[in-house]
Order: sequence, then structure tokens, then C-alpha cells
Amino acid sequence: MTTSDALPHYVDSNRLEHFVNYEVVGKTALRVQRWRDQWKIARRQPRPNSPLNPPLRCVAHMKEIMSRHYLEGRYASGVRKVAWVTSGAPTEPLQALGYFLVYPENHAALCGVRRKAQSIAEEAEHAGWSRDICSYARTDIGSMISGQTPAGRLPRPDMLVCCTNICQTVLHWYRVLADYFGCPLVLIDTPFLYQEAHDHELAYVRRQIEDMICVAEEIAGKPLDHRRFEEVMTNAKRGAELWLDVLNRSQHRPAPMTAFDGFIHMGPIVDMRGEAVTVAYYERMIAELDERIARGIGAIKDERYRVLWDNLPIWFKIGEFSTWLAERGVNVLASTYTYAWGELAPMIDPDHPLDSMARVYLHPVLNRSAGHKLDAMKRMVDEFEIDGVILHSDRSCKPYSLGQIDQRDRLVKTLGVPALLLEADHNDPRDYSDEQGSTRLEAFVEMMEARA
Amino acid sequence: MPIHYPRALLRAHRLHPIEVWGPPHVERHEGSRHFQVYTCDIVVKAMSFLRSGGLDVARAILVPHTCDALQGMGSVLGDFLRPDQRVLTLYLPRGRRTSDHDFLRRELGRLSQTLVDLNGHHPSDRDWAEAFEAEDAADAALADLYRRRAKIAVSDRDFYAIVRSREYLTAEQFCEQAGALPEGDAPHLGVGLMISGIVAEPLELFDQIEAMGAYVAGDDLACGFRRVYSLSAENDPFERSANRLLTSPADPTCGTPIQVRVDTLQTRMRAMGARGLLIYDPKFCEPELFDVPLLRKHLNEAGFPVLHVEFEMGDTLPHQTLSRIEAFVETLS
Repeated sequence: MTTSDALPHYVDSNRLEHFVNYEVVGKTALRVQRWRDQWKIARRQPRPNSPLNPPLRCVAHMKEIMSRHYLEGRYASGVRKVAWVTSGAPTEPLQALGYFLVYPENHAALCGVRRKAQSIAEEAEHAGWSRDICSYARTDIGSMISGQTPAGRLPRPDMLVCCTNICQTVLHWYRVLADYFGCPLVLIDTPFLYQEAHDHELAYVRRQIEDMICVAEEIAGKPLDHRRFEEVMTNAKRGAELWLDVLNRSQHRPAPMTAFDGFIHMGPIVDMRGEAVTVAYYERMIAELDERIARGIGAIKDERYRVLWDNLPIWFKIGEFSTWLAERGVNVLASTYTYAWGELAPMIDPDHPLDSMARVYLHPVLNRSAGHKLDAMKRMVDEFEIDGVILHSDRSCKPYSLGQIDQRDRLVKTLGVPALLLEADHNDPRDYSDEQGSTRLEAFVEMMEARA
Repeated sequence: MPIHYPRALLRAHRLHPIEVWGPPHVERHEGSRHFQVYTCDIVVKAMSFLRSGGLDVARAILVPHTCDALQGMGSVLGDFLRPDQRVLTLYLPRGRRTSDHDFLRRELGRLSQTLVDLNGHHPSDRDWAEAFEAEDAADAALADLYRRRAKIAVSDRDFYAIVRSREYLTAEQFCEQAGALPEGDAPHLGVGLMISGIVAEPLELFDQIEAMGAYVAGDDLACGFRRVYSLSAENDPFERSANRLLTSPADPTCGTPIQVRVDTLQTRMRAMGARGLLIYDPKFCEPELFDVPLLRKHLNEAGFPVLHVEFEMGDTLPHQTLSRIEAFVETLS
């Protein structure tokens, strides 16, 4: 029997497994889990000693959505075409073509939150990858080599899409993936914007998106359905607008959510922008935030200082930081990082999808100069009535971190805002010292107290 | 700043490029006021050099977009430090597709217009022709040096001193120096090595390799062979410059697929009689660090041992670095 004779049976068995394990059993189990979580949250009594107010109820829905996404990934091979993509990649045409999307960065963050990142990254280090490269990359390469993942299993990619609008690291990382998986790597190269975008830069990105669509159509074996594409673009725009609204709710006093909540709740807009479920989720979230605002309920019980976070989160410290800072009356309520998935919403135009995608994917904050990022921080200091800024000097993320020393100096000198450079890493606990970190954070809080 | 940039274009605008790869003898201190400890020496030391007046002679500072570290440098210079010199940037595409070519042609046109604004000189057809003639001759001289290496009777240190003089000499001076190298058998004894990485600093490295009983059969250095460009005869100066830049040999900073880099290295190592690959990189060089494990894996499979050494730029080589290279040479002997 030839391989092609065997293929239909193979594909069918995948479809059956997908239907039973994901569509029937998995979805049902996750729905039941969500009901249980909602019930628990509803019955939870506020802990008198906790500096935090009870979590948002919608977190149960978010958990269900994200778990469903990863669960489907386990059974996606042979059922849907799979693309592994960077977090800033122009994915809307791929969604319209029915691809299942895997975001290795999000997967690495998941490993970080579950405190599995170090052991998985060590697999990559043992295979020769240096500790000086990005810990997201090490985590995913380690996962790829060893098969270890808290997500159960990641589907093998049919194509890789790498967009350099977040860093050059992804290009080097995805070259490694391409070598390992032997599948096509589509590059969307986005010139870094030291100033405003030029026409030839926009034309370059647009043309590469067109080329990506051709490759994706060929692999999918079908042409792009333009009606579906428009629908995805409309959802992407609406989802980004809603996400921006979610984040801007923290301009209220007290802020109804923390930036640490934002880091967790950004999952759908990163992994599933363009999907109706994301729109519905953020509508639900806004309704709950508005309810909190109306009742004067803040994310923390005693909000004395309002703080802006710059750069990626320290995933393995989110819970601890949230509580530690809240105990001192500090609400870290905004971040430049989470804003990146919302602030470009006005640029998305479903009527001109390719032109607007070129513009949107060229303009993320990470693809813009250090001066632009400083301006964005200054604006946020004003709009969110910020008392201090924590700049996470992230060893793994050089494009985000280089420039922070001058940014901090200017925040202090021109706005008079206390600003702290906190040395750490987004995923590798070995690059964060609890003792030094606490000492510096204590001093930072004292500076805000002295200024109050 | 390194690595790739349009020489003829600068010359047509009456500018002479001098490359800044560090420099090694400068302290990190001044640069560390702007960049974190995990930033590579090339960027931090260049910043120190600039802040200490080392670049006062320059009319402008061009930062080609080579990696995240140089991106950060361009941004900090342009947005915060604002030195007396004009800070210019150039985005080099990471592919070799038609779209990359078209983009680069227009990007070079943009840079050219900026230089017109800076210098007040609009290059004539004659300026362009003269610039390409001179720079093509120097490029050809560099390629010829590599081609004739076995028949040039100078040590590796002297050879690389000449190769690297392209970083600061004019095209004419470089051609003269390259042409003056004595013919004869290269004094190569012992084990042949291929050396890869960004920059082989200090030049003493070559003396030490020789003392260990090895020689450099060929290189894959960003400051060396990766800049042996093909020549182009296009009439349009931007088309011609783009062709030149996009025909450089395999280079991770240009996004070359790893397998292509492996194949290229393997072919050249066989042709040159190199027995092993020494990858010699400044610390924190991500483009290089991602490739190392796969270069090691694929080249080992092809029978070529690989040693990776990271260094901090300085005037001397640490003993530990030398010991590792020595042990590597011994295993190849």
C-alpha cells in the first residue's frame, strides 16, 4: 500500500479523534469546569487579610476559552492546517483560510506562569542553546526537543510565519524551527520605524502579506474567501477596540483591574484576535468592569499609588508581585505591553484589509523608536494619573529593554515621576534575585510615599 | 557601524566611511550609562567611544539595522543623545526576495536623499560612475585576496590586518595595499581551521592560533568573507547598490536559512582543507548564538568538529579562551 492510499484513513482517524476528544468530550468537560469555577468564585468570601479584592468573575470564561484553544491544538493535526506564528504576525488571512494558529510565545508564557519554563529551557541549554538567548525561545526549543509542555501536545506546523515587528530574535528562532520541522518559513519583514513610516515601508509589508497569502492558499489547497476575510478583519478590529476599552477602564479610581490581570486576560486578543469568541469575551469583561466601577470596587482594597509597568511581565512572579505591591497600597494598573494589542485598533480597516494590515503590523510599539515609547509612557502617566513607573529591564527582550536607562532618566527629570529599573527576565527565574528585587521595590515605594 | 552598508553611495555623496567595531581598547563605562550589562561590546564600546569624542571627526553616524542591539543604539542616539553628528539609519531586509530587493532600492534612495540634505551635494552621473568604479575595484581586490590566499606569503595576522583595513582606508588605498602583498606560499603549517563569527579581535588571536600549530584556512566572519560582494553592472545606482548588498555570502544577520549556511560552510571547508570550525563571537550576539547548536550538529555529522568561543572585546586574549582553542586544535591534529 502506498502512502497516498493510507492517507485518507489516517486523516479520518485524526478527524474522529478531534471530534470525540475535542468537540464532544473536551468542550463539554471544559464547560462543566467553567460552571464549577463560576460557582466557586460566586461563593468565595473575601479574605479579610488579603490586600486584593476578589478576582473578576469572567476569568472562568477566559480559562475555558484558552483551555479550549490549547485542547483543540492537541487534535488539530490532519484536521486543520497548522501555522506557528509570532505574536505580531498578520494572522487574519490565515484565520480566514481555516488555519489553526499556535503562538509559541504564548505557549512559553504559559510554561512560565505554570513555573515549568526553567526546566524546559534547560532542555534547550543542554542541546547547546546559550542562556543569553531569549528565554521564550529557549522554552519553546526545549519543548520542541523534549515534548514537554503543560499544554499536553502542540500540533506540528504546516507553515511558520515570522514577523519581525516585535524583534529580530524571532527571525533567528524561527530559522531554528524551520530547520527542525522542515516546513516553509514565511518572513514578514517589518522595517523598524525610527520616525514615521515611509510609503516604501508600507508597500514592502503589504507585498509580503500578499505573498504570505499565496503560500498559505497553496498549503491550504484553497483560495482565500474574501467574505470570511472581511468578517475576520471586522472581528479583529472590534476585538482590539474592546481590549483597549478594557485597559482604559483602569483610568478610573480605584482601578477595577491590575496590569497583572491584564497580562492574563490578554490571552484571547493575542491568540484569537479575529474570532467572534474574543469579541464576546471582552464585551463580557467590560460589563463586569463597569459593574465594579459603578460600585466603587477596585482591584486592590486600598489603592494609594498608581503605577505603570513597562515591558513584558515577569511571568513566574505575577501572583507574588500582585500581592506584595497591593499590601503596600500599590496598584500596577497599566502597562505598555498589554496596550500594544489595543492601541492600533483605529488603524484596522476591514474595507481596505491589506493596506490597513500593512499599517497596523508596521506600527506596534516594539517596532518603534525608544523616543516614541517614552512619549507613550508619558501619555499613559497623564491619562492614568500614574504615581510611579516600573521599567522591567528584561534580559531576554533587548528591543524592549535597550533605551530604558534613558527613558527612566527622562521620566524622572521631566515628569518628576519615580521610576525604577527592575532587572529580571520574563521567563527565567535564574535571572531574578528576590532579595535585590524586593529591596529595590521597597525603595521605589518609599519614593512614592515621600512624594505623596 | 557594522556590517553591511552601501559604500559607493556614500562615496558618490563625498563621504568616506570609517567603521566602528567596538573599538576593543575602549572601556564600557561610558556606554554602560545607556545600555544594560547584557548588551554586546560592539554597541556599548562604540557608545563610549562616541561619548569620549572618538567620533568627533565624523560628519554623520550611519547605523545599519543589523540586530536588536544596533537597533537600540540607533534609537538611543537619535532620540536621546542627539550627538553633533547627524544620525542616519538604514534598514537592511532579511530576505533575498524580489520584494526585499525593491524595498532596499527605495530605502537606499531615501538614504541618498537624506545625504543630499546633509551635504548639499547632489551626485552627478559622473560621481556615481566614479564611485562604483572605485568601490567595485576594492571589492574585487578583497575577493581576489581571498581567492589567492594560499599564494600570498604573509601570516594570517598580516592577512587579516589588510582585510580589515577596508574598514577605514579609501578604496584606492585598499587596492594599493592589497596589491602590494608579496606573492609566494602562505606560511601555513599544521591544522587548517575555518573561523566564523562576527569579528576576530584582537589580531593577536591569529598569532596565538599559529603558535598552537594551526592556521586559518578561511573565514566566515562578519568583518571578513561575509562582505565579499558580487559586482553588479546595473545603470541605476540604487539598483546596483541593492544588488551588491543582497548578494553577500550566507549571513545570519541577513536571515540566511541555517541549512544554506551549513552547506556553504561545508563546501568551503572541504575546498580549503579546513579540519574544524572555530566560531568566535562577542558575548550576547543573538544572531550567532541561535545558529551555533545547529551548525555544530550538522557540521559534526559531516565530520567537522566545531568549537564555540565567546569573548569580551579587549586588548588581550584571556588565558581560558586560549586554552579552549588550544585543546580544540590538539583534537584536530
